[in-house]
Amino acid sequence: MRKWPISLIAIAIFAMAIAGISALKQEPLYHTQSYVFGTLVDISIYGEPEERAKQLANQVLQDFQNLHNQLHAWKPASSNQPSELGTLNTAFANGNKPINISPQLATMLIDATDLSVKSQGLFNPAIGHLVSSWGFQRDEFTAVNIDDTKIQALVKANPRMTDIVVKDNTAYSTNPNVKLDLGGYAKGYALDKAAEYLRNQQVKNALVNIGGNIIALGQHGNQPWRVGIQHPRKPAAIAALDLADGWAVGTSGDYQRYFTLNGKRYCHIIDPNSGYPVQHTQSVTVLIPPQKNAGVLSDVASKPIFITVAEDKARTAAMLGIQYFMVIDQKSNIVVSNALAHKLEWLDPEVKKNSHVKLVTLP
Amino acid sequence: MLSLLRSPKPTFKHMLIGDWLTIIFSVMLTAYLFQTLWSHEHASKVQIRIGDKVYAAYDLNQQRDIKVHGAIGDAVIHISQGKVRFSKSPCHNQYCVHQGWLTRSGQAAICLPNQISLELIGEQKPYDSLNY
Repeated sequence: MRKWPISLIAIAIFAMAIAGISALKQEPLYHTQSYVFGTLVDISIYGEPEERAKQLANQVLQDFQNLHNQLHAWKPASSNQPSELGTLNTAFANGNKPINISPQLATMLIDATDLSVKSQGLFNPAIGHLVSSWGFQRDEFTAVNIDDTKIQALVKANPRMTDIVVKDNTAYSTNPNVKLDLGGYAKGYALDKAAEYLRNQQVKNALVNIGGNIIALGQHGNQPWRVGIQHPRKPAAIAALDLADGWAVGTSGDYQRYFTLNGKRYCHIIDPNSGYPVQHTQSVTVLIPPQKNAGVLSDVASKPIFITVAEDKARTAAMLGIQYFMVIDQKSNIVVSNALAHKLEWLDPEVKKNSHVKLVTLP
Repeated sequence: MLSLLRSPKPTFKHMLIGDWLTIIFSVMLTAYLFQTLWSHEHASKVQIRIGDKVYAAYDLNQQRDIKVHGAIGDAVIHISQGKVRFSKSPCHNQYCVHQGWLTRSGQAAICLPNQISLELIGEQKPYDSLNY
């Protein structure tokens, strides 16, 4: 039978064609993951030679680590030296004598204060004492005994960002109860820094993700970068969206850091007005159009929307200039701003099937 | 026709309609199987990362426990016929274990304290990064 070899040749050619196509599909994408800021950092760089992409990603990670050491709210930079933020917090507690701070920290404090004022104090990095009394200033936290009296006292002490006076790279606080915890700011700041660094290095296409705050540069080949939004109660994405050049997205959830006590979930997002963890919301996602501090906004803007009650969420978003947002409440009901709804592709089968998605237009 | 099919000295030039049909049919069948079996909904592998390194990728079509050593201790990852989960972890809050089964491509479970991540990989990645 001479026929078989011919068919075999045809099949071999076909197989080679498949192999050829898949070899062509090998794209110039470098991807790495690491753990910084107590969370997962994920960096993709497209269109650079692998060696260079690797070097750039390592530099970005190194910068993150340095920033993390500088801003750590409870871990010293080394065994006998507190972090820069730790030193500042000690000075705040000990009176109102100005101490020297780095220009970088001074810039951050001024910016964070602006945002705090803009959010009417709902974004408040000055409540470090509350955060630590709820036990969240630990790598591995446990359920705490809730001390209502103490919490009320800490709320009454009214620590605000406007208590901090920053001048000529010095800072002091007029209120000794101010304790900075930049947990809701530093990751966003780091994103902006990373984007700036990569752009200066002529990188056209990259995607940087620090624990759920993501910024995009350029795109993934001939398509935009695509980002999945985590379902707050399932190990899967609830939706996906394209993240165009310069856009950033951030999610705050009650599922990343929390403990349960008597069947109740206590998450790390604390309402500065009550002093208690927010319990009415599972997650808030904000999408930020390109601007100088897109990363910072992707981190900061979700918190005030998370903290306010359902009726006020759209108003709070508008107050912060946020057009694109999604809220998932404790009953897993979804509220999406019209602007964001146009950009989302639902992935969750339940949401697709019986969409309990409510659209809102900003006031 | 039948005699032609049994032609004693066939060459490439003399391939008959039946040969071509067979080839076209196999190509179409392959393409069809490719589409259905390799569809991105069904993950085929789990990629395990420890710290910043890819530790290994395992086929999902098996039943096995994998013990891996993370930043704070040993975790056990359980693979069972197309799905995977953290079954044991030394971390305090056990979020990773409570995440449960991962079944679809693109799904991920992360244990931050132990710095281990699982990601299901199919033919296509549904997204480049997850906004967790």
